[in-house]
Amino acid sequence: MTVLILTSEEDVTADMVVAKLHETGAAVIRLDPADLPGKALMSADYTRGDFEGHLSVNGHVLSMRGLDSVWVRRPGEPAAHAARPSVWLTAETHQALFGMLYSASVRWMNHPRNAHQARLKPWQLRTAHVSGFAVPPTAITTSPRLAQRFAREHGDVVVKSASGPPPGDPALALPTTLVGPDPDFSAVAAGPALLQRYIPKRADIRLTCVGTRLFAARKAAEPGQVDGRYGDTGHAWEAVPVPERIGKSVHEYVTLAGLAYAAFDFAEDEDGIWWFLECNQGGQFGFVELETGQPISEAVALWLSQRKDRRTT
Amino acid sequence: MRPFTLNYALPRALPTVVTPYRFDESLQLNVLPDGRPAVSDPDLLLAAGTTTSTAGSQTHFDD
Repeated sequence: MTVLILTSEEDVTADMVVAKLHETGAAVIRLDPADLPGKALMSADYTRGDFEGHLSVNGHVLSMRGLDSVWVRRPGEPAAHAARPSVWLTAETHQALFGMLYSASVRWMNHPRNAHQARLKPWQLRTAHVSGFAVPPTAITTSPRLAQRFAREHGDVVVKSASGPPPGDPALALPTTLVGPDPDFSAVAAGPALLQRYIPKRADIRLTCVGTRLFAARKAAEPGQVDGRYGDTGHAWEAVPVPERIGKSVHEYVTLAGLAYAAFDFAEDEDGIWWFLECNQGGQFGFVELETGQPISEAVALWLSQRKDRRTT
Repeated sequence: MRPFTLNYALPRALPTVVTPYRFDESLQLNVLPDGRPAVSDPDLLLAAGTTTSTAGSQTHFDD
């Protein structure tokens, strides 16, 4: 079997899977779309009545006919490393590379079309609700009046970014933050604000879904802690069982989303309820595996190394 | 006017750690100076912070 991994060279989380794939004997080709054109080469044609395509990078060559699966892990923008990068060159290279890959009959973890949809926070919340998760009341709005009404109705409210920190400013972080008492919401008119009822939590939960396999990990929170990604609490991630009801909802969610891989974040409240916060279709698992010993990279490698005629996820 | 969400932005300490591994084009993974794969040293990976949930926040929001 042959696996294509789209990611950057410095991605050591991908290394964890590459090492496992080497052990299974699977053929692996690792490509950063940023290296195309340049270090990497691609070619696709329909000149002989059928589609053919090839990729090569660092002396490794891949035929589309022999490709079984694609893992979209953490790729750079197409053509980002080109001698003369431009928006146009990125668009042209994206057309060439992904047009070729979409034409091949392969299994995706995850298909970019589904990944694009799954990144949208309002869509996540609706899908989580449909899937049976407990979802905190949430509003995303450009109306200061509606933002104020939401905050008055729900008491303690957090604000979070839907898309992450502004790109191009590595010195800026945007952790989920309590907005505080009686804030001035007038600036909501300048950009959509995502407001959510604050869930006092006793722990963060990261649940990683690989195909049908689920790995849940728990980290105790400090009193009043809001964003578990920031600040060292001194607590470690520990493996925990997946409640049956949560497992059913996860499978419902990934089926609706068309995802083979997903990382779910929950807040565990004082009653033990897991509140859905978000689902990251490409979420990190390296830190979870390293701290808990859960065999997530092995599960990813196994999923990727199934032959493409076996469509089970 | 500055968007409301950005009023809650904080300065972020930029990592100063130099990763002690390099990409091996033949093996297609990162290796340590002695040639061992970087993933063979979990303590080093945890210390480097390159596998954490904020490691890629500036370029990817799938943490």
